[in-house]
Amino acid sequence: MKKKVLSLLLSTAMVASLAACGSTSAETTTTESGDTTSAQSTDATTSTDTAAATDEEYTLETLNIVVDGTLTATVENGQDAFKEQWEKAVSEKLGHPITLNINQLDHSDYAGTVSRLLTTGAPGDADYPDALIMSATMFRQYAQTGLLWDMADAYANAEFQSRITLPSINENMKDSAGHLYGFAPTYGNGCVTYIKKSWLDAVGMSVDDIKTFDDYYNMLLAFTNNDPDGDGSNGTYGVIAAGYGKLDEAPYINYMPEFWQGAYPSFYQKDGVWVDGFSEQATIDALTRLAKGYADGVIDPDTEEAGTKQAREKWFSAEQSTSEGVFTYWAGTWLRTLTDNMAKQGVDDDLGDDRLVQLAPIQEIKDTWGGYINREAPVWVITDDQDGSNAREQAIFDALLETMLDGDTVQTLWTYGAEDVHWSTHAESFTTNADDPEKKKDYEYAEGEFHLKQSPNDPNTVWKKNHLDPVLVIAPLTNGFVDSDDLVTAGNKFFTENCVDAPQAASCETLSEVNEELVTDKTTLMNQVVTGEKTAEDAIAEYLEKWGDVSAQIVEELNAQ
Amino acid sequence: MSKKQTVAMTSTGAPINKKPLSTRIKNNFGYYLMFLPVLVFVIIIYYWPMLGVRYAFYTYKLRNIEFVGLKNFYTMFAKKEFWTAFTNTLEISITKLLITTFASVLVSVFLNEMHNLFAKKSLQTIIYLPHFMSWAVVAAIFQLFLSKSSTGFVNETLKSWGVLSESIDFLHVQSMWRPIFYLINIWKETGWGTVIFLATLSGINPELYEAADIDGASRLQKIWYVTVPALMNTVIIVLILNLAKVLNLFESVFVLYNNRVFDVSDVISTYVYRQTFLTAIPDYGYTTAVGLFKSIVGCFLVLICNWASKKIRGRGII
Repeated sequence: MKKKVLSLLLSTAMVASLAACGSTSAETTTTESGDTTSAQSTDATTSTDTAAATDEEYTLETLNIVVDGTLTATVENGQDAFKEQWEKAVSEKLGHPITLNINQLDHSDYAGTVSRLLTTGAPGDADYPDALIMSATMFRQYAQTGLLWDMADAYANAEFQSRITLPSINENMKDSAGHLYGFAPTYGNGCVTYIKKSWLDAVGMSVDDIKTFDDYYNMLLAFTNNDPDGDGSNGTYGVIAAGYGKLDEAPYINYMPEFWQGAYPSFYQKDGVWVDGFSEQATIDALTRLAKGYADGVIDPDTEEAGTKQAREKWFSAEQSTSEGVFTYWAGTWLRTLTDNMAKQGVDDDLGDDRLVQLAPIQEIKDTWGGYINREAPVWVITDDQDGSNAREQAIFDALLETMLDGDTVQTLWTYGAEDVHWSTHAESFTTNADDPEKKKDYEYAEGEFHLKQSPNDPNTVWKKNHLDPVLVIAPLTNGFVDSDDLVTAGNKFFTENCVDAPQAASCETLSEVNEELVTDKTTLMNQVVTGEKTAEDAIAEYLEKWGDVSAQIVEELNAQ
Repeated sequence: MSKKQTVAMTSTGAPINKKPLSTRIKNNFGYYLMFLPVLVFVIIIYYWPMLGVRYAFYTYKLRNIEFVGLKNFYTMFAKKEFWTAFTNTLEISITKLLITTFASVLVSVFLNEMHNLFAKKSLQTIIYLPHFMSWAVVAAIFQLFLSKSSTGFVNETLKSWGVLSESIDFLHVQSMWRPIFYLINIWKETGWGTVIFLATLSGINPELYEAADIDGASRLQKIWYVTVPALMNTVIIVLILNLAKVLNLFESVFVLYNNRVFDVSDVISTYVYRQTFLTAIPDYGYTTAVGLFKSIVGCFLVLICNWASKKIRGRGII
């Protein structure tokens, strides 16, 4: 009998232990429903306390921030110096010492890790973020959860208000009730189509001749069939991207805009009314174009599985005989990065900074969107501890966001990195690629001249920027520190002249519940259409059969907001 | 009045006269002290997290937790994706188990028949090696190997031989995914699977082969009438032991599948993974419910295997 009882206990334990794998170790860090309700009701019923508490003194001794790969001063790239200088500068501004803890997450799983951090932690825990970066899509999903602090008042009273040149960016972030749960220090930026100049020359084409989709497609065909790399054999492709469409991340269409044209395969506002763009004729047409491109071999099949890193590395790799001629990627600084990477790989060395040409939006894009899509800006959010007081949150705003755009020392740290590590004003000279006579480049700067230094982890490249792009920032630096990279300047100018703002990302309860499955199904259907497994019409019919009711529900919820 | 006495037995059937636990602890205090850290470790690592099972009955999103009873299970049973994953898990796991076991037996018999020791050892080493490669590396190799792009070795070779006119996206075609998955599993695990069978083969009484020789049996007949029957008990045991683990299928599928073949490749663990880690704001309550269901089925399979093991081997597996 004892043995049977023991067996039963062991069996039960086994079931439980296996099931627990799907759970999180939440015991120590989560709040049970009752507690949550209680916290929320406290929040709702103690408005007088809140008002009183707002004036409380709160000394923020430690600031925990969570960032993605957009903070380029990584641990290997001089982050310690950045932290040290930030702490010194901000401590002076605040009048008390402050410690900055940076939790830089893996860029590719950022959203998932943030979700786990916010689920398993609570304000006050060592790992719980006081502030963090969110993409526009993430931000829309979290804005309604009650976890984020409404910083509308803090933003309105911020010192940097007088220097903001792009006030609409954050004004557009506010919801219909005027709440501002996220702060964008820069505008969003977007993608531009880059073409290898050598390949254009090899097939006898000019970027100025590419005005329409037909021109664009003929170029891709030439890159695929006319041996643009000159190796005497096939193997090249017209274009590569990280997916035929990136349906899990707004603005979804920006990696292959020429094929998508006016389509928007998600929920968006059309003439002020929310619609499901995936079921529209424009999406059917776009999928049909992509399918033709795949069938004709102008789209590299690796596109389906490639992430952005794989796509760009294949594009600029030394092995050009299996590469592609066209790549649509981020504007401005990335023009420099892509060019430098081609140089590192020894691709088209004779062209120098003219390796890449930027394609102006084709006519079909101009006729629909009006230009390349300028995505909604990533934002900084502050977590709300829901204690009925704004003191902690205001202190975080003051320490982090207010100083981030101070126009001077701290903004320089966020823009260019740490002084004498990433940039300097002291006289110096250095050489990159000293061992390679063809790539060797000398730099010399006089005392007092602002300049970027060699990258801490790669002495053969010059540092570019830190978190804030100086060209995209909504309140420019006032200390006159400008990195005068002509290529970056030209890239940013080209984009700003050819872009339009992206549609606002959708967010409602039903969409949050089904989003993962919806995106998975849409991506599957998209891939099936592109690879010729089914027609675009059949795919959309299948989509509507399965998701039609849910889609209608989402549209209804969005339009009711 | 007779008092029923329970007598513990050793594995050989000899009786053990048990003393009270307190006396045993006192007499063997040193051993119990050494066991204590292990006990604490097991409780903390294996048993304490089990408390999380209760969230199967909650909605658990971010920091909002609400008791919902069996709602998560109703939701789960109503989802086509869940049932696809469940049936795929059973189909893929059981087929994989049968195929790899059969392949291991075949290779073991083949190795057993090899008389050149150097060749035998060399071959064994070569076929063991893939087992030590991680699934991530294996997937990367085969994805590159089978790629549809101009870097894909298989497609380019078949095209150059005139076998194919157009490249095939092997891992993205539903009808091809499972056969390729099984082939990769055979390549990776067959060698390692032979270890236990070769041990069994080395224990076969040589007199049986001598008797077969006297009876004039050919080499194939000796394999069929001596070697294979001698292996069968081990084969059944291996199958039973592995049957208990059929629901634990994740890594090999995760690194090789893609959304175009979800219908034939998605298994419970990958389904839970996507629901938990690829959803912007996941409902941990739902994913825990799926995990709990999987564990219940897994536990049921363990009990069946235990029963089968008792019938065949005379002793259970738990």
